[in-house]
Amino acid sequence: MSEMTFNLRVWRQANSESSGRLVDYTAERISEHMSFLEMLDIVNDKIILEGDDPIAYDFDCREGICGSCGIVINGVPHGPNPGTTSCQLFMRHFKADETITIEPWRAKSFPLIKDLVVDRSSFDRIIATGGYISCNTGAAPEANNTPIPKDIADEAFDAAACIGCGACVAACKNASAVLFVGAKLQHLALMPQGQAERDRRALRMVDQMEAEGFGACSNEGECEAVCPKEISTKHIARLNRDYMRAAVKQALRP
Amino acid sequence: MNALTRILNSPVGRKVTMAVSGLLLLGFLVAHLTGNMLILVSKETFNHYGHTLISNPMIYLAEAGLLGLFVMHFTTGLYLTRKNRAARPQAYERNERAGYASRKTLASTTMIFSGLVVLVFVPLHIWGFKFGAYYESAEPGVRDLHRLVIETFQQPAWVIWYVAVMTIVGFHLWHGFGSGFESLGLSYRKGLRRFGQFLAVVIAGGFLLIPVLIYMIGDKL
Amino acid sequence: MILDGQVPGGPIADKWSKHKSDMSLVNPANRRKYDVIVVGTGLAGASAAASLGEMGYNVKAFTILDSPRRAHSIAAQGGINAAKNYKNDGDSVHRLFYDTVKGGDYRARESNVHRLAELSVNIIDQAAAQGVPFAREYGGMLDNRSFGGAQVSRTFYARGQTGQQLLIGAYQAMMRQVDSGQVKLFTRREMLDLVVVDGKARGIIARNLLNGELEHYAAHAVLLCTGGYGNVYFLSTNAGNSNVSAGWRCAKRGALFANPCYTQIHPTCIPESGEYQAKLTLMSESLRNDGRVWVPQKDGDNRPPELIPENERDFFLERKYPSFGNLVPRDVASRNVKEACDAGRGVGLTGRAVYLDFADSVRRLGSDVIADRYGNLFDMYYKITNENPYEVPMKIYPAIHYTMGGTWVDYHLMSSVPGLFVLGEANFSDHGANRLGASALMQGLADGYFVIPATLPNYLANETFGDAPTHSDPFKEARNSVQSRIETLSMINGSRTVLEFHRELGGIMWNQVGMARNEAGLKDALVKVRELREQYWQDVKVVGHTEDLNKQLEFGLRVADYMEFSELLIRDALARRESCGGHFREEYQTEEGEAKRDDENFSYVAAWETHGNDREPELHKEQLSFENVEVKMRSYK
Repeated sequence: MSEMTFNLRVWRQANSESSGRLVDYTAERISEHMSFLEMLDIVNDKIILEGDDPIAYDFDCREGICGSCGIVINGVPHGPNPGTTSCQLFMRHFKADETITIEPWRAKSFPLIKDLVVDRSSFDRIIATGGYISCNTGAAPEANNTPIPKDIADEAFDAAACIGCGACVAACKNASAVLFVGAKLQHLALMPQGQAERDRRALRMVDQMEAEGFGACSNEGECEAVCPKEISTKHIARLNRDYMRAAVKQALRP
Repeated sequence: MNALTRILNSPVGRKVTMAVSGLLLLGFLVAHLTGNMLILVSKETFNHYGHTLISNPMIYLAEAGLLGLFVMHFTTGLYLTRKNRAARPQAYERNERAGYASRKTLASTTMIFSGLVVLVFVPLHIWGFKFGAYYESAEPGVRDLHRLVIETFQQPAWVIWYVAVMTIVGFHLWHGFGSGFESLGLSYRKGLRRFGQFLAVVIAGGFLLIPVLIYMIGDKL
Repeated sequence: MILDGQVPGGPIADKWSKHKSDMSLVNPANRRKYDVIVVGTGLAGASAAASLGEMGYNVKAFTILDSPRRAHSIAAQGGINAAKNYKNDGDSVHRLFYDTVKGGDYRARESNVHRLAELSVNIIDQAAAQGVPFAREYGGMLDNRSFGGAQVSRTFYARGQTGQQLLIGAYQAMMRQVDSGQVKLFTRREMLDLVVVDGKARGIIARNLLNGELEHYAAHAVLLCTGGYGNVYFLSTNAGNSNVSAGWRCAKRGALFANPCYTQIHPTCIPESGEYQAKLTLMSESLRNDGRVWVPQKDGDNRPPELIPENERDFFLERKYPSFGNLVPRDVASRNVKEACDAGRGVGLTGRAVYLDFADSVRRLGSDVIADRYGNLFDMYYKITNENPYEVPMKIYPAIHYTMGGTWVDYHLMSSVPGLFVLGEANFSDHGANRLGASALMQGLADGYFVIPATLPNYLANETFGDAPTHSDPFKEARNSVQSRIETLSMINGSRTVLEFHRELGGIMWNQVGMARNEAGLKDALVKVRELREQYWQDVKVVGHTEDLNKQLEFGLRVADYMEFSELLIRDALARRESCGGHFREEYQTEEGEAKRDDENFSYVAAWETHGNDREPELHKEQLSFENVEVKMRSYK
């Protein structure tokens, strides 16, 4: 088994108040089968034994579904592979002795907590304003009473596949969250159950997105390119349509 | 806050404002280019076209409308740019294009700069032609705009300036057209984006062809 | 202590509905006077928080992660069972009940399982109404598939991410209550102790993971929805942050812990590629439908698989189990894989893997058919291993992925500490000694959406609550004990990292308390684990500040709890001198090598009362009786 060495430049920042900088580390004896996060574990073990504070980063499932991990690797969120989270990126995709720059998601609405850990609770607050179908437990009708054509269900699923990692925001030059919000809106707007609250949902979620300080969309599609679930920007176009429709309807209401 | 201001001040509303004003201005450019092409037909046709335009009383309304669109487009654009920059207070140390599905281009990342160039260009352009030297044509009351155009574009500095600006306008349209339609939620399809890029080349190419032709063979026009 | 499961009387099919109408209620106007703490926001926690919030209780929901939507329920792939009988293939509540009791190897409480089967149909209705994008047929009706060898198609699914879609449904319902103010959400908080006042669970001590502050929260009831303890094995398919600490801390406060030795092993996981590995990834066991499991016949045969001729390969499952072949149940397959590797015939870099070969199926069916069936799994495998399973055989190895044991609860899901309720994987109740595929999601949601909203009011309405302010002595005492644990740990400043210790503990557990156990190995493991625990408290190195985001400290505390908990798991495995479900004792097997239950002596729930590290835990038994299913022996020959 061949072992590789990498030169890491890692963003270290003690907390949101202090200023951060890139710090150089050497990752030694790295196997091509290691995941990116396992490589960081090895670097951290060395840092710990030297008595220093290890690099803080978020992770949980390590199988690409929880959306916890999020690292900008060589200038691209989640690194060079399409449809991949940071935890599912393997070191075989890097050249031995390569210099790898490692940074956190950077956005005003994702305040930095420490090193590579950021606060993405703005996403949860957007969901709280309307990202649901209101149906109290026990109030549900028999599931097959509402048939949903397979293609519609499949399309709703494509939107619902979002794991809320925030890579779309991290990649966008405007730190815009419209792909996230668009996907969330379309997941529910495509299905018959979601119609009753469709307008209210679009208005409230977009307003909250604005209040959180995310930027506007420039239609560059970087978000789709880095999305681990490859969610299409068509959901952004649909968000625009849904929002305008809802806003005009609201304006015309006597 | 009334409903209309709410719509216009929303993030979607602002993008729709950009898209609608931008696409209407693009429509104006198509009309403008068609008119300009008349210079290749004959001196009289071109001058008559100009005369018909300015002697129509509706011209003031049209000019006001154009000015309104222009102001709307650049003020919203400047506002959004400031806001977008504020959304990422700290820049990445290293930032790369993601590739794959990304449509990020030199054109898309420089919209504000290409837009600012146009913002400088338009007053100069109006000052140079609309309020430029007044030559009387053979026909009484009809301005000889043809002569002014030919004289201007026989000076290399003007030609270079116009060629440069029109190329930049092309860049602006390259991203702007498709992006406008996406903002309107009308289409996210590849074909429309391609058509926009084609249009950008045609419009920029058409506009810069005229000064180049005049510089090269102006005495024959 | 005599353990009373509080199971209501009457015929099994009527128990729940009758009991629901007998239980006490809390008047809608009074509900806002009750505070409820929900720890964990996976399927069980999020669904409970949402439902209780909708009813009008004041809910405080806690998660160790940065968002409730990331809880490890999200990683469940396969599906969720429900006795809807949409396929008209003879399914019924009774059949789902029967299958689950049998699948659990007759070590679950009948009444709980029947209630689970009854509620399964309501879960699907609820989830569909929330907009969960289940797979559909062309006619728009919900699609079902057969899963894990079930004879009926009762599994509802959403591509390969049923867990994520159901969790998003529950999370969204909970966020709606956050918006309305009924649920207050506390993210990046880790429960480190339970506060018991006058014998009742009245609050928790949680560490704010952002700044290290120890916070007190008081309530009238505490709901533990904190998942399983698979990570005691270090390598498992669980998420990195999954841990047993909340459950273990409650055990130390008096909550009995039941059947810890029931751990489930999944045979088709991607093997580890080196000792740095942080987790194992599970692949659907449907792969065994078309893949053939084999190892080289010769020990240490290092040739690449394509160079090993057919007659030098040992298709050991087909050889030993001619009628079931590669489709023997999870535990049988896993044990045989381990045996082959222990005998030195394992393959791959570490020798801890066997081949799962699709070459015959590709030849027989064509690669298109195989791609259609397993395309996404093959892609996932390729992404992780960089090997193309269409061309070279997959390598697989078993891994821990679910734990059936958990905090002991009665029929109302209440632990032996009044006011402490335990839901989902964290309790022991429904799966017996072994869990069937696609029933983990079902149990988490049944507990959260339907059981707790009915049983919690009964507790609240029948209790009188004294004041339990957060500045009272029990809160101070709990806080101080957490504080001193944190200080002790951070001051050791030894020479080995938390990760190293966790890895070593996992090694002992996996090798001696894994899928095949014996008395000598267990006794030896007990000694080793104790030694390791002593070393841990002398030699671990936890760096960084305690008042800061400090993942080393978080993991250090969790591993410290695993060091204690593992001992209980081993003791339970020692005490259960029979084989059943996920617990296989080599001494107790049939001549064919099958698990041999001892219904005469071991048809009970082993609920352990802890007495600190210096005294042995005390075993309490809840006898199990089976009145509605016939107890049988399984056979796969």
